[in-house]
Amino acid sequence: MKGHYKLALTALLILLAVLPVQSFAKDMVAKEPPKSLDKLYPPVNKEQKWVQQMHKISGHFGGVFVDMGEQDWENAEKHAARFVESYKEAADMVPEWKDYFDHESARKFAEEVKTRDAARIGKAAGPVGKTCGKCHDDQYLSVWTRYHWPSADKIAITDPVDEKELKYGKYMSLLSGAFKGVTVNFGEGQYDRAKKALGGFKKRFMELKSVCSKCHTGDAVKQFYVGEASAQAFDGMEAELNSPKPNPGNFWKHVGTLGYEGCKKCHLTHRAYAIVQEIWEEKEEARK
Amino acid sequence: MKRIRILLLISALSALLVVAGVYFAVNYGSRWIPEPLVQLAREPDLLENAESKKCSECHKLIFEAWKKSRHSRAWVSETYIKNSEDRSKEKCLACHIPEMVRAGVKPDPRLWNRDEGIYCVPCHVFGDAPPGTPPGATPPPACAEVENSPPCKGGRGDSLPVVTPASGTLAMNGPYDLFSPPHPTRQNPDYRKSKFCGSCHQKTLKEWEGTGSEKTCQSCHMPPAEARLTQKFILGLFHAKKPVGDHGFRHGEIGDADLAMEARIAGGAIAVALTNQTIPHLVPTADNGDPRLFLYAVLRDAAGVELEKYKEIIAPQLETALPYRKTAEYKFPLVPSAKRAEIFLQYQPAWSKERSDVRRIQMDL
Ligand code: HEC
Ligand code: HEC
Ligand code: HEC
Ligand code: HEC
Ligand code: HEC
Ligand code: HEC
Ligand code: HEC
Ligand code: HEC
Repeated sequence: MKGHYKLALTALLILLAVLPVQSFAKDMVAKEPPKSLDKLYPPVNKEQKWVQQMHKISGHFGGVFVDMGEQDWENAEKHAARFVESYKEAADMVPEWKDYFDHESARKFAEEVKTRDAARIGKAAGPVGKTCGKCHDDQYLSVWTRYHWPSADKIAITDPVDEKELKYGKYMSLLSGAFKGVTVNFGEGQYDRAKKALGGFKKRFMELKSVCSKCHTGDAVKQFYVGEASAQAFDGMEAELNSPKPNPGNFWKHVGTLGYEGCKKCHLTHRAYAIVQEIWEEKEEARK
Repeated sequence: MKRIRILLLISALSALLVVAGVYFAVNYGSRWIPEPLVQLAREPDLLENAESKKCSECHKLIFEAWKKSRHSRAWVSETYIKNSEDRSKEKCLACHIPEMVRAGVKPDPRLWNRDEGIYCVPCHVFGDAPPGTPPGATPPPACAEVENSPPCKGGRGDSLPVVTPASGTLAMNGPYDLFSPPHPTRQNPDYRKSKFCGSCHQKTLKEWEGTGSEKTCQSCHMPPAEARLTQKFILGLFHAKKPVGDHGFRHGEIGDADLAMEARIAGGAIAVALTNQTIPHLVPTADNGDPRLFLYAVLRDAAGVELEKYKEIIAPQLETALPYRKTAEYKFPLVPSAKRAEIFLQYQPAWSKERSDVRRIQMDL
């Protein structure tokens, strides 16, 4: 009984030690993922074939240690053999990545499982686990940027003022111009113009609420950026402009809140990858 | 001569009796029909991801209605393709190409026959395993981190028992307890409940629940009409008429009684009041679509020249849609030389840029 427990713990510890831990390189650059991945992801493929393959290899890799903990050596060997196979399959799926794989280490690992010696198995698992980690460090971010993060630039927004349809980036420029229309006029003491500009700017800003559902399926996200904090900032600006003597201190405070809650916070989460996608797109255009 | 007539009469009578017997057996006494006979009539392929065309061989009218519904366009809709980035956004597949619809459970996406969007089989064919049955074993470590992600289901080292459409004994599920020779049926009261629709219309269901309305989605969007379920030559006549729900899933028809629009002059402005009088959800309502109402007020001078044009956008995504039995008021300031005002409301569905008039009021100022 005691020996059994110890083995289970050892198996777990080995697994934790060899499983890839994310540790992105400091000088990381997001390179475009290889072309052959296209056929392993939607829209070209119906399924996310690469992710499925990852589950397959990690299921067998982990399976060895689970069965080892249960002293089910027969199944541990089966998992080891299937791990070697699925690891090979993965390498064949993306030829550009073939150097990341070390089939010799994988084969050795499967051999060592047959010895039923935890220490030897653990030692042989190390080099294999490293190959997982190396590729993940290099490629994860690129793959997510290309295949998982939806592209803002493919979204069109209809300007509620002019009723013209604009691409996302163009709409942002328009929005930014409208924001400036408010602040510049206020700075010059042209309160009537600022007030008129604020009306249009608010409509354009609030129109962003209709964009969330193109990527998010729940309404809860709308508490952010386009939620209460921004609405209050607009109310505050309006109140100042409606008063006989607007207070610049108050006005700029609300401008600051909107700029941070309404623009900056969204950019921090949503623009980072949009920037990488844009660079790739420009490269693609240049190639054509 | 007389003999022949009697014989003819007898055979006509017995034929009638047989017909009546079959009619009775099919509609009221199906348990007396011998099992081998039932098996003879069965068409097992109907339960194996049949295309809607196959169902139309018998359910012709239902098929034709469905074909006109938006459900039949859910995957091929241009606006959908555009917004889902060529159908590659993972989050956007489930409700547009469901594998099976179980009341109250968000579906998983399917791999086959995607072009038909939301069609007969996912809504009607599945086994009798209870929905939401958890997988039979704990997933391996790598999968545990990404539970609920669809790829995890099929891609594990060893496939785990997950509830699929085929879990349990397959049948055609529907609102009736009836006998259908070509395929087994199973009565399921969920088909007449709003939560069936709410598996996908999640936001609309929540709105509906908030109103406390007793009327189900089906009662308005699938209004029943006394008819036969099937139109198969002759054989169809053996089944009694019953209420059949309109599979056109009616949309966009805002009736006169549904929405009230009134305009008056108050405090130097035109005040327009809109009231959603009968529809127990927001108007318009949406999950991921973006249907809109546009309210315009155009002010003209005596010569008919446009002086000012105001606009309000009424849309669920902008959080400005009209709640049940509440009045929303919009104020449009008058301008000095305005003599006439035209106030009109237009509707734009989620899936098109085309607008249609809902209401129009002319006012002398
Ligand atoms: C040649 C590159 C490469 C190698 C080698 C590799 N992986 Fe991966 N792996 C990836 C990429 C890229 C992803 C991200 C896929 C995605 O999210 O679409 C990934 C994702 C994963 C995931 C998470 C899947 C998910 O649902 O998010 C697991 C688990 C995984 N890999 C396990 C392993 C294991 C275990 C090994 C080694 C035995 C390994 N991988 C080797 C490239 C690699
Ligand atoms: C182009 C696609 C896209 C659009 C449009 C978009 N988002 Fe996001 N958003 C993402 C992605 C991708 C993430 C990160 C992963 C995730 O949560 O799905 C994210 C994350 C978030 C998060 C933090 C994580 C979370 O899910 O809680 C919030 C909050 C958020 N978005 C709010 C919004 C709001 C509000 C809008 C509309 C004003 C919006 N998003 C529009 C793609 C988008
Ligand atoms: C819902 C999230 C979101 C909100 C809120 C938001 N932005 Fe953006 N913004 C983005 C994204 C995403 C991009 C990148 C678009 C692209 O490259 O296609 C962007 C890009 C921009 C750009 C660069 C446009 C270009 O491509 O030249 C400007 C300028 C900008 N935003 C200004 C603003 C201002 C000003 C506000 C607030 C009043 C604001 N944004 C609010 C998401 C947001
Ligand atoms: C499997 C998910 C699903 C179920 C279940 C479902 N719907 Fe739908 N429904 C959709 C989708 C997705 C659309 C949008 C299709 C399109 O236009 O692309 C839609 C569209 C509609 C429309 C048309 C909306 C418009 O913009 O014109 C109506 C009406 C409707 N459904 C009513 C119902 C009713 C009533 C039920 C229950 C009997 C129901 N739906 C069940 C997913 C579903
Ligand atoms: C929970 C189920 C569900 C999910 C997930 C879902 N939708 Fe839908 N979708 C619906 C329903 C129900 C309708 C019909 C009502 C409406 O218009 O919102 C619909 C309608 C639409 C429409 C309008 C009809 C048309 O053909 O143009 C678009 C566009 C759309 N969805 C895009 C998306 C996008 C993009 C995603 C992913 C971000 C998504 N959907 C995810 C349920 C869903
Ligand atoms: C060969 C003829 C035939 C074909 C093909 C057929 N059905 Fe039927 N179906 C029937 C008959 C007959 C009934 C019972 C009619 C009655 O009693 O009024 C029926 C009843 C039903 C019911 C009602 C079940 C209930 O309990 O309320 C549903 C749902 C149904 N069919 C769906 C389908 C679907 C989906 C398909 C295609 C996959 C299909 N049928 C193909 C003949 C057919
Ligand atoms: C969005 C899901 C959905 C789709 C798609 C769908 N049905 Fe139905 N069906 C229902 C619901 C809900 C009812 C119950 C309607 C009622 O009676 O209130 C029903 C009822 C039925 C009935 C029983 C008669 C009735 O109206 O009660 C038959 C037969 C049927 N459907 C056949 C079909 C066929 C054939 C197709 C494809 C052409 C189809 N259905 C597509 C949801 C669906
Ligand atoms: C009392 C009748 C009634 C009931 C009950 C009802 N609706 Fe509606 N629904 C309407 C009418 C009328 C419209 C057209 C007005 C409109 O476009 O908003 C409509 C519109 C819709 C639309 C089209 C989107 C739009 O607004 O443009 C969808 C989707 C919808 N309903 C889904 C549902 C769902 C899901 C339920 C149940 C939770 C439901 N409805 C209950 C009457 C009803």
